[in-house]
Amino acid sequence: GSLQLVKCSGLKNPFVKVEDRSRHYRPFYLQLPSFPVLNYCIPKPYSPFEVDKKHPSGQKQTQSKQRNKINSDKDCGTPVQLAQKDKKKRGYCECCGKKYEDLQTHLESEQHQSFAQSTQYQIVDDIISKFVYEFVEYKNDVKKIKRTKCST
Amino acid sequence: CDHKYRSDIESSNKIHNLFSPFFSTAGIKKDIEKLYEAVPQLVNVFKIKEKIGEGTFSSVYLATAQLQTGYEEKMALKHLIPTSHPLRIAAELQCLTVAGGQDNVMGVKYCFRKNDHVVIVMPYLEHESFLDILNSLSFEEVKEYMFNLFKALRRIHHFGIVHRDVKPSNFLYNRRLKEYALVDFGLAQGTPDTKIELLKTTHSEDQQGSCSQNNSTVALGNGVSVSVTAPKQIAQQSASKAADKRSGSLSKIQIKQGRGGKEDSAHHSVQRSVFGERNFNVYSSTYQENTSTKLIKQSKVIDVSSRKLVTKKKIAPTKTVSSGAARRAASSCPSNLTCDCYATDRVCSVCLSRCQQVAPRAGTPGFRAPEVLTKCPTQTTAIDMWSAGIVFLSLLSGRYPFYKASDDLTALAQIMTVRGSRETIQAAKTFGKSVLCTQVVPAQNLRTLCEKLRGTNSGCKRSQGEVPGKSVNTAAGKAESDKPRAPDTLGKQTQHLGSFQEGNGALEMKATDMKGWDQVPDEAYDLLDKLLDLNPATRITAKEALLHPFFKDMRF
Repeated sequence: GSLQLVKCSGLKNPFVKVEDRSRHYRPFYLQLPSFPVLNYCIPKPYSPFEVDKKHPSGQKQTQSKQRNKINSDKDCGTPVQLAQKDKKKRGYCECCGKKYEDLQTHLESEQHQSFAQSTQYQIVDDIISKFVYEFVEYKNDVKKIKRTKCST
Repeated sequence: CDHKYRSDIESSNKIHNLFSPFFSTAGIKKDIEKLYEAVPQLVNVFKIKEKIGEGTFSSVYLATAQLQTGYEEKMALKHLIPTSHPLRIAAELQCLTVAGGQDNVMGVKYCFRKNDHVVIVMPYLEHESFLDILNSLSFEEVKEYMFNLFKALRRIHHFGIVHRDVKPSNFLYNRRLKEYALVDFGLAQGTPDTKIELLKTTHSEDQQGSCSQNNSTVALGNGVSVSVTAPKQIAQQSASKAADKRSGSLSKIQIKQGRGGKEDSAHHSVQRSVFGERNFNVYSSTYQENTSTKLIKQSKVIDVSSRKLVTKKKIAPTKTVSSGAARRAASSCPSNLTCDCYATDRVCSVCLSRCQQVAPRAGTPGFRAPEVLTKCPTQTTAIDMWSAGIVFLSLLSGRYPFYKASDDLTALAQIMTVRGSRETIQAAKTFGKSVLCTQVVPAQNLRTLCEKLRGTNSGCKRSQGEVPGKSVNTAAGKAESDKPRAPDTLGKQTQHLGSFQEGNGALEMKATDMKGWDQVPDEAYDLLDKLLDLNPATRITAKEALLHPFFKDMRF
């Protein structure tokens, strides 16, 4: 039931609100434009909660280049955004405990390099040392004809 | 609140199609060269053929190696992102070595390291794309699939590993060979009594209510950690604790950045599956992928989870730390004031000023159990069983992904529409959560639900062949009238199906010749019901699932 109290804001229907029963934590909630509905008529294999992209139901539709391809089984090759592979890769480095804007630059940074060359990886090496090395080196038939191992 | 923790990352949002025309083979070649360069030991040992997967935390390559046995074998080389903490790397390796190598759990052959570059060598299992085969599997194959998934889960759970990211792309399936492999322990956590040393947890209060931290220790599992913090970093992390999240919207912190720009290009179909790479091998169709990617990206919500980098002990605030940080670091929530908003449709300055609860939520949105979605701090291996239930639900309904949510609470709402709002709320109480939902939605009969979605009843049959756009446009209206049917009605419908097909030329049905789908036993839905048990305490375990009557004719 909705009561009336000052300084309180009422949540707009429909919503879902979750709170720890200890009441010691901040509640979290979601106000939806519409409550999800099982839609049996969406074709297989798509989710019955699929929303129609052409008619945004108001649910987070801010992205511009959404493709509306319910139908395509396979990618029919619309080049939406060419691989942004080279786009700078941002992220968080667990080793250095910091965020970075560009992965490559960070990896080359002094801080990261010093970590990379540190003894911190001993714990990994300890595990590696227990593995059985069962590989045979390919002979470098093209480059050097030097045989390191006798083999067939 | 702008720190990113691997643990919180949706592991499924980025698909990268390496094989689309837009993905340059030159780029891959370059990647391969760079890998050889980074880890020169690989040079004479492996012929790296191609890149078969790329995710946030690793890239996976297919390679051949000459073994001492005389055979040349295919291997999967998983190159971890060099920003991975050594402890995390070690824990993943330990999961693979201790639990892997049998019972459908991926094992490890070897591991190469040069500085921060680590390459895990695993046997290669050629596998299907889940989406490609989803609707061509026979019912028997589905049964075998689930049986083998439970075998893998029984194995890892026995070792006290919570995988956290059970989903088709992490369960490799070779249909022809009937081989299976559960992969990727990159998000794994330990149970309190885990047998994986590096996943051992010292139950930390850090989990409870502390806000974002920026530590340089790795917590594997519920806050275990090995302290490797440099003094400078301690100050840093304490300071970052001060970065209160009130600025964020409620318990959510919007992260602009997604997990790297990869997602943006994640638009193409993945014709090849990826080996053990999360996010990867399932999507052969572009549609849902790219939309879900978008949605998730936009609303990416990052909470601090226990898999974040966390320190073992509360670190006493140092002089360099601001008073705010000190307050934070002094643990628990500052404001335990009560208000009258509890279990109402209101929020106020009092409740909103409380600290957000911190609970692990690493994994993939549509596969998260209710207790994960509601931030239950104590999560068990039962979360993997829920995920397995979602996989089963996909298999039985022919829908993948089944849930399609961009955030946790949308996912919870979708779960309610299947399992019932009252039931969900009731179950949440048992794990300490008050859930309030404006909508009262009934629980669905699982058989009816799956049969309608799969199209093995005549319910919405016609829509199968329709132009999807059309059916979607009219979807809302239809869904309204499509209330679940009583079982007896359903039976009749199924009976009529034969003639229906004849008359209608329902090609799909004919082609598959039903494959056992016309007589799915009750046991299947009973098992599904037990997997999708909203209460984690009573949810079926992997061990029990293997003994479920559904598998009575399977041999161990």
